[in-house]
Amino acid sequence: MDQEVDGLSYQMELKNVYKEYGQTEESMPAIQDVSFALNRGEFACIVGPSGCGKSTLLRMAAGLDTPTAGEIQFCGEPVKGPHPKISMVFQSFALFPWRTVEGNVEYGLEAQRVPKAERIDSVEKYLDMVGLAGYSHLYPKQLSGGMKQRVGIARALAVDPDVILMDEAFSAIDEFTAETLREQVAEIHAETEKTFVLVTHNLVEAVELADKIIVLSARPARVKKIMNVDLERPRDRTHSEFIDAHKSIFALLKEELETKIARHRIKRIPEFEKLSDLEGHS
Amino acid sequence: MSAAFSKRMLSIKANVHHTVAFEQYLWLASLAGIFLVWEATVRFGMVPESKLPSFTATVATLVASLLDKGFLMRVLQSFLNLTGGILVALATALPLAIFAGLRNRFDSTMTPLIMLAGALPDIALLPVLVLWIGRGSAAAIAIAAFSAFFPMYFTIREGTKDIPKDLFHVAAVFNTSRADTFRKLILPAVSPQLFTGLRLAYDFVWEIVLAIEIFSGVTGIGSYISGAVEAGEVTQAFAAILAVGVLAIMIDRLVFGRAEKWIRRWMD
Repeated sequence: MDQEVDGLSYQMELKNVYKEYGQTEESMPAIQDVSFALNRGEFACIVGPSGCGKSTLLRMAAGLDTPTAGEIQFCGEPVKGPHPKISMVFQSFALFPWRTVEGNVEYGLEAQRVPKAERIDSVEKYLDMVGLAGYSHLYPKQLSGGMKQRVGIARALAVDPDVILMDEAFSAIDEFTAETLREQVAEIHAETEKTFVLVTHNLVEAVELADKIIVLSARPARVKKIMNVDLERPRDRTHSEFIDAHKSIFALLKEELETKIARHRIKRIPEFEKLSDLEGHS
Repeated sequence: MSAAFSKRMLSIKANVHHTVAFEQYLWLASLAGIFLVWEATVRFGMVPESKLPSFTATVATLVASLLDKGFLMRVLQSFLNLTGGILVALATALPLAIFAGLRNRFDSTMTPLIMLAGALPDIALLPVLVLWIGRGSAAAIAIAAFSAFFPMYFTIREGTKDIPKDLFHVAAVFNTSRADTFRKLILPAVSPQLFTGLRLAYDFVWEIVLAIEIFSGVTGIGSYISGAVEAGEVTQAFAAILAVGVLAIMIDRLVFGRAEKWIRRWMD
C-alpha cells in the first residue's frame, strides 16, 4: 500500500504547506513547510503536541481554510474549497440538534439534491454499518456521546466520500466506548477501502488504527517523522511490536514536548516575551 | 437491545406526559378561584356595580358583544395593529440581528446604536409620530414595531452568536449554499431565541397598542374601552378587557405553545 496506486497520483498530497496568521513581518507561521502524501485506502494519523496546528492542517485538507503558501491536492487537483468526495467527522460531533438521527445522516445527501427515497436507503445502510439501526427517529439529545459520534461517522460516510477526515473523533467519548468505536472504524476502513485521516493526540489510538503516522513538531508544525505501521490487523495493544511502535513515537513526541516546555520557560524572560506572544494562540 | 431501549424511551416519555398533562391544567383552578372571588365581591355588595360589574354580567355582555359587528371590528383592528407592528419588527430585526451575530464588525458598529435607540421612551415618541403620519393605524403600527424590535433583536443576536462554529463547518464541508445555510442551519438554530423574543415582544406590544388607542384615539379595542367608561357603560368596558385577555391567551397557546412543543422535542 505504500506504492502509488494506478501509477496515476496520490489520493491526497500536501506540498510545502505553510499557514500564517496575521500579516506582520515578524509573524511566526503556525505550519511551516509540511509535505506528505497519502495513497488510496490508507489510514493516516497525524499526531503532534497540542496546539501545533494539526487541526488547522485537517481543516485545510477539508477546504475550510486555505494555506498561506504551498498546495493541497486531491486526486492531483488542488483543493480550493469543500469537495464532495472529502468528508469530515468532528470532535464535538457537530450534529444538528433539531434534526433526528436520520435527518442528520441524510444532511450531506440533501445538500447534493439526492432524492428522498435514495437518501432513506443510504441512511439505513450507513446507520446499520455504524451499529445504530433502529435509532433513526431519535434526536441527538437522546443519545450518548458514543452514539452521537456514530451518527457523525454515518453522516460522513453517507455521501460516499473517498477521503474521511477525522478531527480528534474519539477524544470526547469515554474510553470504553471509544475503544469499541475505534474497532468499528477499523472494520469500516477495511470494508470500504476509503482513505482516512485522523488527527489525534492519543498515540495508542494512532498505532492501533494507522498505516502511516505523521508526527508533527511543536509549533510551527513541521513533519518530524513519517512512520509506517506494518502490524497485522486487528491489532493487539499488548503485542510486543505494538508496544515498540508506541514507544518509538512516544520518544519522538517527548522530544517535542521538551522543546515546547523549554520555550515556555523562555517566555518568562523579558527578552523573549515578544517571541512568546507570537506563539500565543496555541 | 434496540427494542428494549426504545421501549424504555417510550415509558419515560409516557411518564413525563402524565405529569405535564396534570400540571398543564393547574392554572385553571387558580383562575376559577379569581373569578369566584370577583363574583362574590360584587354579589355581596362590597363594591358598587357601577364601578365593577359582576363576573357573570361581564361574561354575558361579552357573549352578546361577540355578535356585535362593531365590537368585533374594533378587536380585529387592535389585533391588526399588533400583528402589523410585530411583523414589521420581525422583518427588520431578523436580518439585522443575524448579521450582527455573524459579523463582529457589524455588531460593534450597530448594536451600541440600537441599545441607545432602545433606551428611548417608546410612548413618548407617539406625539411626534402622530405629527408625522397622523392619528391612524399607521402610528399605532409604527410604535408597536418600534417596541417589538428591541427584544427580538437582542434575543436573535444572542442566539446567532451561540451557534457552535462546528455546525457552520458541517454546512461548509457538505457544500451547503448560502440560502440553505440560512434556512437549514441559522434559522432552526436561532428558533428558540426567536420565539422567546417574539413572545416578549407580543406581551409588550399588546400593552403598547392598547395604550396608544386609549390615549390618542387610534381606532381599536382600546378606544372602545375608554369610550365605554366615559359613557358610564362599565360592563361593556370589562367585557372588552376580558375579550382582549382571552384573545391574547388563545394566540399564546396556538402559536407559542406549538412552537415551544416543537423546540422542547429536540432542545436539551
